[in-house]
Amino acid sequence: MKHLLSATAMVLASATLAAAEGELQLYNWGNYTSPELLEKFEKETGIKVTVTDYDSNDVALAKVEAGGSGFDLVVPSASYVPIWIEKGLVQELDLSKLPNHKNIAPEWTDVAWDPGRNHSVPWQWGSTGIAVNTKVYGGDINTSAVFLEVPPELVGKINVVPEMIDIVSLATMYVGGEPCSTDPEVMKKTRDVLLAAKPNWISMDYGATERLSNGDWAASVNWNGSTMRARIATNGDVQYGYPKEGYPIFMDSVMLLSDAKNVEEAYKFMDFIMVPENAAMISAFARYANGIAGSEAFMPEDMKTAAEVVVPEEHKAAGVFLPTCTGKGLEYMTAIWTELQK
Amino acid sequence: MAERGFEISRLPGFATIAIAAFVLLYLPIVTLVAYSFNTSNSVAVWGGFSLHWYAEAWDNDDVKAATMRSLIIGASAAVLSTALATMAALGTTRRKAFKGQTFIYVVINQPLMVPEVVTAVALLIFFGIIKVATGYQGLGYLIAAHTAFCIPFAYLPIRARLESMDLALETAAADLYATPWQTFRRVTLPLLAPGIMAGAMLAFVISLDDVVITEFVKSGGQDTLPTYMLGQLRRAFTPEVNAISTMLLGVTVLLLTLFFLLTRKKD
Repeated sequence: MKHLLSATAMVLASATLAAAEGELQLYNWGNYTSPELLEKFEKETGIKVTVTDYDSNDVALAKVEAGGSGFDLVVPSASYVPIWIEKGLVQELDLSKLPNHKNIAPEWTDVAWDPGRNHSVPWQWGSTGIAVNTKVYGGDINTSAVFLEVPPELVGKINVVPEMIDIVSLATMYVGGEPCSTDPEVMKKTRDVLLAAKPNWISMDYGATERLSNGDWAASVNWNGSTMRARIATNGDVQYGYPKEGYPIFMDSVMLLSDAKNVEEAYKFMDFIMVPENAAMISAFARYANGIAGSEAFMPEDMKTAAEVVVPEEHKAAGVFLPTCTGKGLEYMTAIWTELQK
Repeated sequence: MAERGFEISRLPGFATIAIAAFVLLYLPIVTLVAYSFNTSNSVAVWGGFSLHWYAEAWDNDDVKAATMRSLIIGASAAVLSTALATMAALGTTRRKAFKGQTFIYVVINQPLMVPEVVTAVALLIFFGIIKVATGYQGLGYLIAAHTAFCIPFAYLPIRARLESMDLALETAAADLYATPWQTFRRVTLPLLAPGIMAGAMLAFVISLDDVVITEFVKSGGQDTLPTYMLGQLRRAFTPEVNAISTMLLGVTVLLLTLFFLLTRKKD
């Protein structure tokens, strides 16, 4: 009992000192931060980084909004970045303190949700595309037709991940509309193409890495990182397609909180992760690309040449950041999704 | 008990339903434990037996820190909530029925009835104000929150025990000139001990399990084992999570077994 009390007291005391010098509080998605990266940062700067996990953008936003969270840096998804800025929860970055800001790849510098990157620096990004076992189907895989007008070889063998925004947006772009469209004509077409395709799908489920690897599914709408693992497991049979009609991209970026206590340390960390070699460590851990030019050279061998990570030039243009859907657009999307689930 | 003729185990379908219930309850746990010994990187494809994921979890500093934190919070919350619950139970049972008794029960058992997420959001806002005002970010918030929602879990077994205890014993002690404190110390408390133990165990396990309130209340660097595991969701689960769960399960089973052995002797 006495030990317990003293242990408790120690933990309480040490936690109170959290804002001491040489500390940084990073609030990030769980299992997303490379421990080696933090070790290297501590060795170079003497700053100890404490990572706290979250599992959804909404929880992170709610916690910081309530005030007194004690965090310095947060890593929201692209569609949430404008919300953080609008609510005044994050600071505008002083770019003179970030000499490595110039390392951000050009296509990631002027993003719609943070033009000029004055509020955020890239952490990792990925895409939603189509994974296909090329032994089963030899046709063109760079099109949403693979799951929306299922070729005979894949009928009853293709899965669709149950992610409303990704799937409905893929279909909307396939019929020629903009994601989150409020045009009833476009959304009617979106609905029809999805409902017509559904009987040809085997399921709407997660777990694509394994079930593509063991051959349960011959194809699936899937994320790039997961597809890379399936490709490696099947010795290259499973390939990743980038739908030319448009495919969703997601990106998580580091932002500096308005009530951050360790501002200098936070700048050092943001600058640190924009060094190509360090950005590559982030990718090596979580297996996604990072948005820093020149980092590919430092990635593990199996990622350097991976078509899932290093997007082939001809497919870059079709990538689309999905907007934060609200109002009528969201209403249509939800209605279609509900009908699709029946 | 008096009616020898009726036994529930002789009802038709008893065995079938019992087996189905046990399978439903335990098969997922057995699967989880089995896959914690998987060699491969997957939670669904068997690749052979190994202790690899246990070593992995053991070497993981985040897991170690989260475990320590869970245990400290659980133990503190169990001790505090059991102490409060014991007092509440004595105050609501060792006396004549009084007006507003039901209201008191409702207040004490509030965490059982209010949806957890509501408590979590309320605490988030409330503690947010305190955090800003005081600058204190320590584990105190989590311990306070856990203590609060553990109270009814500690209270119920203690109260049940008190209600089954004969008040005549305490009355007799008082008749023999025992002071109220002596009566409590020598009569009530020893008889109540199994109930208190049960309450504390339950409170500890409830605290150990909690996700929602912890997720909302925790400050920087305060992930507990369950919130750590939740954080793994974004990327593929590995059998490391199974290994951690299995160890957690082992600790719980061990504690409960000890508890049953202890209380059996006392009874």
